[in-house]
Amino acid sequence: MRLQEHPVLDFSKKRGKKVTIYFEGKPIDAYEGEPIAEALHAAGIRVMNYTPTTGRARGIFCAIGKCSSCLMKVNGIPNVRTCITLVEDGMQVERQRGLEPLPRDYKPPKWKDAERVNADIIIIGGGPAGLMAAIKAVEHGASVALMDENPMLGGQLVKQTHKFFGKREQFAGVRGVKIAEILEKEAREKGVNIYLETSAIGIFQDGEERIVTAIRENKKLVEFRGRAILVATGAMEKMIPFENNDLPGVYGAGAIQTLMNTYGIQPGKKVLIVGAGNVGVILAYQLLQAGVDVVAVVEAMPKVGAYFVHAAKIRRLGVPIYTRHTILRAEGKEKVERAVIAQLDDSWNPIPGTEKTYDVDIVALSVGLRPSIELLHQAGAQALYVRELSGYVVQHDERMETTVRGIFVAGDSSGIEEATTAMLEGKLAGLAMALYVGKADVKNAMDEMEQVRKDLDEFRSGPFGERARIGEKKVMIK
Amino acid sequence: MMNKADVAIVGGGIIGLFTAFWLAQRGERVVVLEKNYPGSGSTFRCGTGIRQQFGDDANIQMMVRSVEIWKDFCKYMEYPGPASECFTFAQTGYLFLLYSESEISEFSKNVSLQHKYGVPSSIISPEEAREIVPTLDISEVMAAAWNPTDGKASPFLAIRALVDRVRDMGGEIYVNTPVTELLIEKNTVTGVKTSRGEIKADMVLNATNAWANALNEQIGVRFPIEPYKHQAIVTEPFKAGEIKPMVISFKHGGAYLTQKANGGVIGGIALKYGPTWDISPTYEFLREVSRNFTRIIPALKYISIIRQWGGYYAETPDHNAILGKVKEVDGYYIAAGFSGHGFMLAPAVAEAMADLMTKGSTTLPLDFYDPYRFQRGELREQAIQMG
Repeated sequence: MRLQEHPVLDFSKKRGKKVTIYFEGKPIDAYEGEPIAEALHAAGIRVMNYTPTTGRARGIFCAIGKCSSCLMKVNGIPNVRTCITLVEDGMQVERQRGLEPLPRDYKPPKWKDAERVNADIIIIGGGPAGLMAAIKAVEHGASVALMDENPMLGGQLVKQTHKFFGKREQFAGVRGVKIAEILEKEAREKGVNIYLETSAIGIFQDGEERIVTAIRENKKLVEFRGRAILVATGAMEKMIPFENNDLPGVYGAGAIQTLMNTYGIQPGKKVLIVGAGNVGVILAYQLLQAGVDVVAVVEAMPKVGAYFVHAAKIRRLGVPIYTRHTILRAEGKEKVERAVIAQLDDSWNPIPGTEKTYDVDIVALSVGLRPSIELLHQAGAQALYVRELSGYVVQHDERMETTVRGIFVAGDSSGIEEATTAMLEGKLAGLAMALYVGKADVKNAMDEMEQVRKDLDEFRSGPFGERARIGEKKVMIK
Repeated sequence: MMNKADVAIVGGGIIGLFTAFWLAQRGERVVVLEKNYPGSGSTFRCGTGIRQQFGDDANIQMMVRSVEIWKDFCKYMEYPGPASECFTFAQTGYLFLLYSESEISEFSKNVSLQHKYGVPSSIISPEEAREIVPTLDISEVMAAAWNPTDGKASPFLAIRALVDRVRDMGGEIYVNTPVTELLIEKNTVTGVKTSRGEIKADMVLNATNAWANALNEQIGVRFPIEPYKHQAIVTEPFKAGEIKPMVISFKHGGAYLTQKANGGVIGGIALKYGPTWDISPTYEFLREVSRNFTRIIPALKYISIIRQWGGYYAETPDHNAILGKVKEVDGYYIAAGFSGHGFMLAPAVAEAMADLMTKGSTTLPLDFYDPYRFQRGELREQAIQMG
């Protein structure tokens, strides 16, 4: 089902031309600019494939191209990430049943040399960190090419309908979606060379240059060549173990936001949210805005992790938050039909007799994120596990340069924080890269970096910034 | 830590561990010293192919014996669990695609020689090749050399099984334990010095492949072994059984590729760099592997590469290993310089080395790999290196 009315977002203007795609031969309405999985979800199709070994049904989980849970056969080609592949009129989409055979195609491809894109700086990831870095680097005289594997810029900002906190120059009071628009406009106006639907697949050294190889629109090879590279690839949603945690309808919180806030698709009718951090609680509010029933938010910790204002808002609207509770299992045939929760004792074991069953069609997991460091790892950057930053992160210096010369990191891929710190880290990296490639005026750039570092310290100075402060200390190279 | 062994083996790759196995089976007390972790040097980076289709007597004989052992590997390992967990030697064959008269005549000669040792190889038509691999583009293929008893195996499972078996038989394997020095008295090896202390041993085997000369320097010996960077890739999985054999094409950059049990393609091309100790993956390799693989099996254009890595071919001038006694010091042996064939040759090479070390001789053609042949200017015909 598609959302027609929304208090914050207007989808009638956003939707593209109506097209028809075919799911297992049946025609389905879709809109240009919409990914396949999202269009199928709007038509009520939740199962995308059946797993190779156990034949279990799988649907979307992350909806941003990171988890491979939505692989389908598209126009005969297997293993297509349907959550980030846009619909085309007449497209044939089929569920994958286990591993698919190779298409019987005997025509060797005409080998075209890859498209070559040269710039001083190559940025992987067009979220708040990547965009901000691009803007800063261009402002200081460097040329920038930026790629993102999603069909739009803004990263996770595009689904943040809430207003940001902080200082005015850090977009306080502005909704995330709006910040994405502002940053995109600025980046485009300043001449950042932008490649969407372009997945970076490797970072290689070639003499003085570095090459980022990428695949555009699932088929074209692109070589980005530059001297400095920023990996701002964001994060991946975490999963927790419980029975049937792979049932279609168990979605990452971000996936639900993508469906609902980016594409105007109703994710379901009744939702149980697991995790009462900011993401979980904000999600609850957004679901209510979209007219979806939220039955409860469960939180294993004894305290709600979210900011008080967010939590108070949903409580006022009648959504119970159960601390010291967890999900025991999801139930249903090939889709979530029920969820069972229970109270936890002091040693985190479920207390018998406290089980409660909810009739829901969605279980939203907001149990944390982990940094996406795959490309940094491939490039040889030194990584370490930092609990406070939610996983493996790479070491970096105070200019955001990793242990590999010329490769920088910013945003969630350098440790899980939030969009504001991602933008500040992006600024820092953008300035540092402009210096690194010799384009920036040294004094100007150094002065500005000093200011950004102060802003970062200030933003992290409160009690909510404690984890980040500890984490940063662990990864920082002196 | 064990302080006295009959044999100390330096290097915990497939060669060192397999030799440890044969020696332990003959009642020798063995210790294996690995500077990193088992398989970490070259074994875990290998292309996994096992073939008897060589072009010379010695390598064919060695590989015929190797395949016999690979086939019974799980029995040798006395693996307690299910066979599928023990080891996955799959006799899925090797298919060399031939694109010219000269290739056909060369491979026909090889096939005749292989028949002498009972290898059931043959020259087949392009259509027959496509029956074996239905996704092949055969428009330019003139013929193929095919042997159904060649195959591939998992280096990970092989190393794990060997480590368990050697330990069960009383052998000791020390990881993160580099050997820093040979202990020598009166021109005779008496053991090794390691990062954790000394171990006395009557014999020492240098099974460190690319790194072999590091230990030889101490005694003023240097064999012609150079590290060359080679690379390999793995793709995302698709339905298993689509590319059963190892498919090889010299015309396409010396490409070799096959599908693993889990459905992903593993393979590489001949492109090499070196001598060098750098094994970082290169873009040139990624590009060329894509270009060449899709010319052999066009449908691979729809399949994504998910991993790429580098490793060493420890190359000798004739691409044949250096196996035997090191004459300069009594009790010191070498099995190194495998030039890309160590994994497939390991069972037979290890058996021959164990024979040599315990009985002084072997029925396998070890002389072919004489460490001093280069000194005498007696290079062998270059072994077929691909796959």
